[in-house]
This record gives sequence, C-alpha cells and structure tokens, in this order.
Amino acid sequence: MRPRWRKVLHDLWDNKARTLLVVFSIAVGVFSIGVISGAYQIISNDMSASYAANHPANVELRTENFDDDVLSSIRNQRGVGEAEARRVVNFRVQKTGSEAWVSLDVVAVEDFDENRVNLLVPVSGGVKAEKDEVLLEKDALKKINAAVGDELLFEVSDGMTKKLKVVGIVQDVSTGAGDFLAPPFAYIDMKTLATLRQPELFNRAYVTVAEDQDNIVHIREVGADLKDKLEKNGTTVARTRFSETHKHPMGDTVNAILGILLALGILIVFLSSSLIANTLSALLSQHLRHIGVIKLVGGRKNQVFAMYFTLIMAFGILALMIAIPLGGQGAYGLALFVADTLRFNLLGYRIVPMALLIQIAVGLLVPIIAGLAPVISGSGITVLRALSGDLTGDENKPHKHDDREQVSWFDALLLRLTHMFAARGIHFPRPFIISLRNTFRRRGRLILTLFTLTMGGAIFIAVFNVRVTLHDYVGSIGSYFRADVTLDFDEPYRLREVKQYAMQVDGVQDAEGWQFISIELIYPDGSVAENANVLAPPAESKLVNPLITAGRWIRKDDVRKLAISEAALDPFPDLKPGDALRIKINGREEWWEVVGIFKFVDQEGILAYAPYEYISQVTNLANRSYAFRVVTEQHDRATQEIMAEKLDHYFRSQGFKVRKAESGLSSLDTASESLDTLVIFLLIMAILTAIVGAMGLTGTMGMNVLERTREIGIMRAIGADDRAVMRTVIAEGLVIGFISFVLAIFLSIPFTYALSDIVSTAVFQTPIKVVFTFLGYGIWLGLVLLLSVLGSILPARNAARLTIREVLAYE
Amino acid sequence: MSSTSLIELNNVSKTYSTAAGDFPALKNINLKVGGGEFLGIVGKSGAGKSTLLNMINGVDELTEGEVLVAERADGRKLSIHDMSEDARSLWRGKNMGVIYQSFQLLPMLNLLENIMLPMDLSNNFHPRRSRERAMELLQLVELEEHAQKLPAFISGGQQQRVAIARALANDPLILVADEPTGSLDSLTADHIFDVFEHLVHDQGKTIIMVTHDMGLASRFSRSLTIADGELQNGQDALNFDRTTAGQK
Repeated sequence: MRPRWRKVLHDLWDNKARTLLVVFSIAVGVFSIGVISGAYQIISNDMSASYAANHPANVELRTENFDDDVLSSIRNQRGVGEAEARRVVNFRVQKTGSEAWVSLDVVAVEDFDENRVNLLVPVSGGVKAEKDEVLLEKDALKKINAAVGDELLFEVSDGMTKKLKVVGIVQDVSTGAGDFLAPPFAYIDMKTLATLRQPELFNRAYVTVAEDQDNIVHIREVGADLKDKLEKNGTTVARTRFSETHKHPMGDTVNAILGILLALGILIVFLSSSLIANTLSALLSQHLRHIGVIKLVGGRKNQVFAMYFTLIMAFGILALMIAIPLGGQGAYGLALFVADTLRFNLLGYRIVPMALLIQIAVGLLVPIIAGLAPVISGSGITVLRALSGDLTGDENKPHKHDDREQVSWFDALLLRLTHMFAARGIHFPRPFIISLRNTFRRRGRLILTLFTLTMGGAIFIAVFNVRVTLHDYVGSIGSYFRADVTLDFDEPYRLREVKQYAMQVDGVQDAEGWQFISIELIYPDGSVAENANVLAPPAESKLVNPLITAGRWIRKDDVRKLAISEAALDPFPDLKPGDALRIKINGREEWWEVVGIFKFVDQEGILAYAPYEYISQVTNLANRSYAFRVVTEQHDRATQEIMAEKLDHYFRSQGFKVRKAESGLSSLDTASESLDTLVIFLLIMAILTAIVGAMGLTGTMGMNVLERTREIGIMRAIGADDRAVMRTVIAEGLVIGFISFVLAIFLSIPFTYALSDIVSTAVFQTPIKVVFTFLGYGIWLGLVLLLSVLGSILPARNAARLTIREVLAYE
Repeated sequence: MSSTSLIELNNVSKTYSTAAGDFPALKNINLKVGGGEFLGIVGKSGAGKSTLLNMINGVDELTEGEVLVAERADGRKLSIHDMSEDARSLWRGKNMGVIYQSFQLLPMLNLLENIMLPMDLSNNFHPRRSRERAMELLQLVELEEHAQKLPAFISGGQQQRVAIARALANDPLILVADEPTGSLDSLTADHIFDVFEHLVHDQGKTIIMVTHDMGLASRFSRSLTIADGELQNGQDALNFDRTTAGQK
C-alpha cells in the first residue's frame, strides 16, 4: 500500500475513540432515516395490501333489524359485488374467574364458511364458532386475558350471564378499522344470539361494489342507492360508512405521522452533520503538522484533499455497515409495531431498496458535505502555517495578523463581573473562571455544539408539551362525555322514573335522559354528503361542555336547529352559523339551521347536537328515553366503574331492561392509548436527537482537552491536582449544557406549536390548543446536566491521567 | 570562481506585519550558491536565518525580490516564488530535500514509509522501485535494520538520519537544513555532519544549512553570517567556488 493511503488507514484506526464518535454520529442519522423511510415504504405498501387482501366492505350500513329477505335484496342490487349481513351488539364480558368486566362488540356471523367480506384470518385455534362458542379478535386480548379453551361470561339484558367458550383467536383488519373509539370485537354464530337473548336478525350490512372498488364516488353512489332501497322497504339506516378497497381508513393519518418522524429524522441527520463538521474540523486542526510535512515533501493540495476525502468516505462506509442492517431491522420493527397497533398485517421482512439507497446517499453525502469545508481549508493551508502548528484561535481564520493581544469581549465582561462580585466579597473559584473562559475560546465549535444540544433539547421538551397538548385535547373531548355513567336500556323509560330510581343509588347526584337520532346531510344536488349522529341532551345540560369555534350552543327553544362538529366542514367547506343545511331525518328531507360549529375528533364522523326538547318530539319519545347520563359524587375512573356496576345491578333488580352501563371515560381510553403510541415514536426520535447532542458535547470536550494538553500540564505543574483538572473540564461541560438548556427553553416554544399543529392536524384534522408542561423542561434540565457531566468525564479523566512530563512534551 | 550559480537570491526582503507594526525579518538579501557547495548560514536566534531558508525552499512568501533556482535538465533559472503554492510543493518534492531540527516525520508511518512518501507524492518511482530505493537510503544512513519501526521507537539522531534519507528520496540536487543538529548531542551531531559531507563529496549534492552554532562554521565549504535580517559579509554571499566545496 502506498504510504499516503497507509496514513489514511492509520488515521482511521489509531484514534479509535474519534473514529467511533464520527462513525456513530453518521450512523445515528443514517439509522433514523433508514428506519423511517423503510417503515414508510413497508407500511404504505402493506397497509393497503393487507387491508385489500381482507376484502373490506366498501359500504357498511348500520341499520335497524332486518332479515334474510332484505339481505337477498341487497345482494340483488345493481352494482353490488358481495354482501354479508351481521348482527353487532355490545356486551359486557368477563373471563371466568376474573373480576374485571370489559366491553366487547359481539359480531354474529351468518355462515363462517361463506365469509366473503371483512375476512377473518385465523391467529390461533379455529376460525369458525359453533353454537355457544366465540372467536376473539386478537386486539381483544389486550383487554381480556383469554386463550383458546377459556370460558367467557356475557351479561345479557336481564342481568343474567351466559357462558361461551373461546374456540379461536382471529384477526379482522377491516371491521372497525379507523375507528378510534371502537371497542374490540368477538365473533359468534347467529344461533348463539338466542343464548344471548338477542333476536336472530341482522343490523349491519357489509357490501363490496362489483367494480371500481377504489372509486369513492362510485362507492357512495352504490351506498346511497342501497340506503334508499332499504328505507323504501322500511329498514331505517342509522349510519353508512364508505371506504376504498386499497386505502386503509387510517392510511392518511399514519402517513402524516410518519412524515413528522421523517422530518425529525432529517433533523437528526442535520444535527449529526454539525457534529461531523466539528470533529473533522478538529481532526484537520490536529493534523496541520502532518499536512505541512506532506506538502513540504512534495504533496499537492489535491493529494491532501484526496487523502482526507477518502478518510471521510471511510467514516461514511463504516457508519453504513452499522446503520444499514440496524436500520432495516428497525424499519421492520417500527412497521410491525404500527401494524399491530392499527390491526393490519405485514407481507414479511424485507429490505426496502429505496430506503437502502436513501441510507447510502445520506451515509456518504452527509459526511462529505459536513467535512468539505474543513477538508478544503485544511488541504489548502500553506506549508508554513501548517508546520507552525498554531492550534489556538479559530482554525478557519488566517493568522497573518496576530491580534490575540487584545482581550476578547467575553473575557473583558468576565473580568468586569469578577471584579464586581469580588468588590462585594463574592469570590468565584479560579478554576471555574478558567472553565468559563475555556467555554468561549473556540466559538465556532461552541456554536455547533450548542446548536446540536439545543435542538435535541428543544425537540425533547416539545415532545412532552405535545403529549400534554394531545391528552388535554382528548380530555376536552371528554367534556362531551362528562357523565360519570352512561346507562342504556333496551326500551324507552320515563325520564322522571329513571331519575327517581337512580337517586336511590348511593353516590348518584343526578340523571338526565338523552335522545339519539341519525341524519343524512344532503348536497344541493340532492345526493347524500355524509351521515351524522345527532345527540340530544337537555339544552340546559351541564354534561356537555363544547369547544365552540363559531356561533353558539343549542337552546331549549331551538326548533330545527343544530350545532355541528368541524367534520361537517369537509363536505361543506363554507358552512357557518346561520346557514341552512338540507338534511334527511326520519326519511324526510328538511332544512335545519346551523347555530354553532364545535371541535370533535373528525375521525369519528360528523356529530351534531340538538335540544332534547325538540328531538324527543321528532322521535315521539317525549319525556322518555333509551339513554341516560348519570352524574356521581366522584368523577374518577375507578369510582365510575363501581357506580356503573352498582347502577347496572340496581336497575336490573328493579326490572329495567338494561342494555349496558359503563364508565363515562371508558370510550376515551382507546384514544388515549393510540396517542401514547404516537408520543412514544416522537419520544424515541427526541432521545435520538439528545444522544446526538450528547455525542457532540463529548466530542467537543475531547477535542478541547486534547488541544489544551499543554495548558493542563502547566496547571498541574503549578499545583493543580487530578480533581482540580477534572473539575475544570466538567465545569466547562456543565456550562455548555446549561447554556443549551436556556436556549432550548426558547426554541421549544415554536417547536411545540409546529409539532402540535402537524400532529393534531394529522390525528384530529384540526389544530388544537397548545398546552405547556414543566415536566419536559425539568427532565431535560436533569438529563442535559447529566449528559454534560457524562460527556465531560471521559475527556476529564484523560486530562487528569496525563503526567506533567507527557503534557509539556506534547506536540 | 564558477560563473553559473545553482541558486540565486536577488534583493530578497521579508517583512512581517504584526499588531505592533511591521517587522523586517530579511533586508535586501543577495546570495548566490554554486552546485556542490556546503553553505553554512550562521546567526543568532531571531537573526532571520530560518526565514532566509524558507525563502530558498519556497515554504514562505517573500515581500520583495526573487529566488532563482537552476533547473536540473537545462540549467535554465526558475523563479520559484512565481509558481503557485501547489506547483512549488511539487517542484520542492522533486528538486529540493528539506530537513528540520524537529525531524518532521509522520508518526503513524514506519521509517521505510516515511522515506517512500515523497516518491509516492511526486510519482517519481514505481511503488516497488520506491520501496527498494527507500531501503537503499536507509542503508546509506545505516538504519536498514529499523526499517519497520515507527519514529517514536528510535533515537533523535536516528530520526534525523531518517529525515535526511527522506530528503534524498527523489534524488534532489539541493538539500536545505534548518538547525538539523540543534536538538542532538555533539556526538550524534558529528555523525549527521559526516553524512552531509559524504553527500556533498561523494554524491555532488548542494547543501544549505542554517545554524546558530558559530563553532560549526569551519565545517562548511563556505560560511555566511546573518544578523538582524542582513548578511554581514555581503560580497562573500555572491562569491562561490565549487572547487572549495567540502574541502574544509
């Protein structure tokens, strides 16, 4: 090997700590980009492929009870491909021997052998349930710890429990996909409905269209025709959902979130590039003498450039060797995690060529770009300057004029402050003043280090703020569900009667009856735009605290007036309070006035509120209701559960036909869990940025110590012991860490707003109110100080270990 | 007296700008060096001798004047400061060996590789031939048994001999040495001088050496004194006689 390349090899191998620092800096960025771009590719491909492979229904109709004849007419409808009918009923379920009740949506399937739509995929056990047997969707296992062979107790309307045996775990990626608040599913045969005191009738139709399965306009047309047909036959359709075969309902949301992660990944690459620039600049600075010797014996600028360029490429290649396999695994791991959370399947482990190419490009280009400036300036240095080996001052600044006799502004300031404090009897330890001064000696390097650490901190803090912001929003969504217990009956009861009974239960403060009705929003051309659910609490109800964005809330005397959620702005972008909305209610078309617009989770569809006083007339249920909201003295989740249980038993014992009684907060749990998953992703990225920041600090401290070896020797020669030397170095690290924390406090504010805005738009389709928490600031302060100490300890130990002879002989 | 000089300095001045004002390091130097001379430039610390050497080897830029060096092929004079820094590096690598007091060996390369480096950079020799030549040069300085050692594992005197071998790598006509014995004990310094004298007498090299040691003046074929940036014996600086080279 030629001597110059042997030198490159030595540069790579001899200083292993430096090589590792640069290689890991590059690798962290490449890994992040690899994980996210790989996961993005895998998810966007497999999510739709897996969803489509399950033959998802293009149209889901939620109806009142219907029979086989209606199903046959659905199947015979023009444009319909496959159609299946099922009965979906919510039950409280308990594992035998367990105390906890969970809420499951039980799906009664007509014929498991003829399953053509929303296919059930076996996970373990069978894929077919006979009479008094049940299959569990694998997501249900997160709520109920059951296995094949276990028995589950289902609470039926008269309060009795019925025992069903679990015969299989299945996966159903289609039913309930994209429904944030949907409970997990269980599957039974139609014959089991009798056991569960349910009529052997259907209330859901799942339909695929015969052609154009990815054309949402066509799907809506077929759905509207079906709905018309059913309603003409006397079957009321409460709600319809439309979806394309190759588009998972959560696809856009996942892509938006992956987009955010990608942005953070790019930021990590950017930060690691500043670390690489810092390290390479220091390396070139340490190699000035070598460059001088090479040029002295005939080396030219392009030869020196080629040597250091090769060194940078070697760093990049080494980083790729680490980051590519880990990135590939990480990408699949992330995709698997998302798939598991959102209930879809991956097509198997694979290397994503595009992600591989991106990683290679990032791994080679980033160090080249980051290292170009120091390498160009290093290779272009004159022999004389290189041989003089002047390592003080800014390496990018030519030293034709030596102006170091002048005191820097910072030193002057420090001097003045020191005198000021000394005059008041406050004396700072001299080593601490040296540390402060050292911190500002290499300003270019300090700025890069602070930039990396500050960005890491700002993102870290912002992620905590975003977490609180999201939970605050979910909490405020909870203000639509302020009742402590939701009590649903199978038949309507008088409001006063239910309230009187409810007040007999200890801990109950109030109970009010709500109405519910489903409507359709109609476009001006007469076609159906969307379905909407109208909730009708008493107008004076304190159990709804809406987040009104325009107009007002409902009033007692409102007739044909409603407040509607922001989701209505999707089909009607110009909708505003005072506008008239054409709706179909109880089979009739009417014009209703929009009095207000409020925020809600758009994924849950369009929600509207109208006063009970008017809706009860529309539904012919004046002073009666199926659904009641109960307020208890305590509002925590545990008390709610107990009160739900108590009310359930009490009303059943009094002969009421209770359908379910559940805690008011239960439906928000799923949403909170989904948000926590998202926050975990963000936190992982934040931790990666923090790691890059810490590596930057370690590198900087290492370089600072190396460059000040002679100075440390002088300190030791005049009496500084190991601890004093270490203290000086660690104090410098702490000063840098603390400055970065102060800067991160400010930078985290715009970051929090930007990140909250992007995440909330992706998840809730609406920007939300930002909330700040001290938690992130506190944790980051502790972490950055810890990282500063850890990052400085190794260089400090190295400095303290040097003997006076070694350091003063240092070249 | 030979009529054609190998190196010629005409009115060379060097002024450094500092915060305290301009500092003239060299004042109007005129000097001619003949082929085969062993020229010593003696002066105290700060007299300007290293600056003068850096003007001759093109490591530093001059403020005024010119440095001309005769080309090996046709004897045509080349003004080295008219060349770019890069071109000067290549020229120096091929035509002038440089030796410093602090040896300036690359610590990560073994002795053999240090000597091969100039040949590698100037592409003057095939890699295999450059290895053979580096071994021959190590034999010349009697260090062939240490060929695979790193510089840190040999003595200062040995390192300086390796630096001389490296300076000879591309077989230049001229060697310039800045206090090459400055950090060596007298016995080792004597050995280094023996090597230099051998190079002048037996290989016809031209050596310009600067030193602060007045006692060494007798060992040069010609000796000049520099003080305050000026050559003290101005007329002697222009008189060179090849026949006297290495005779003292």
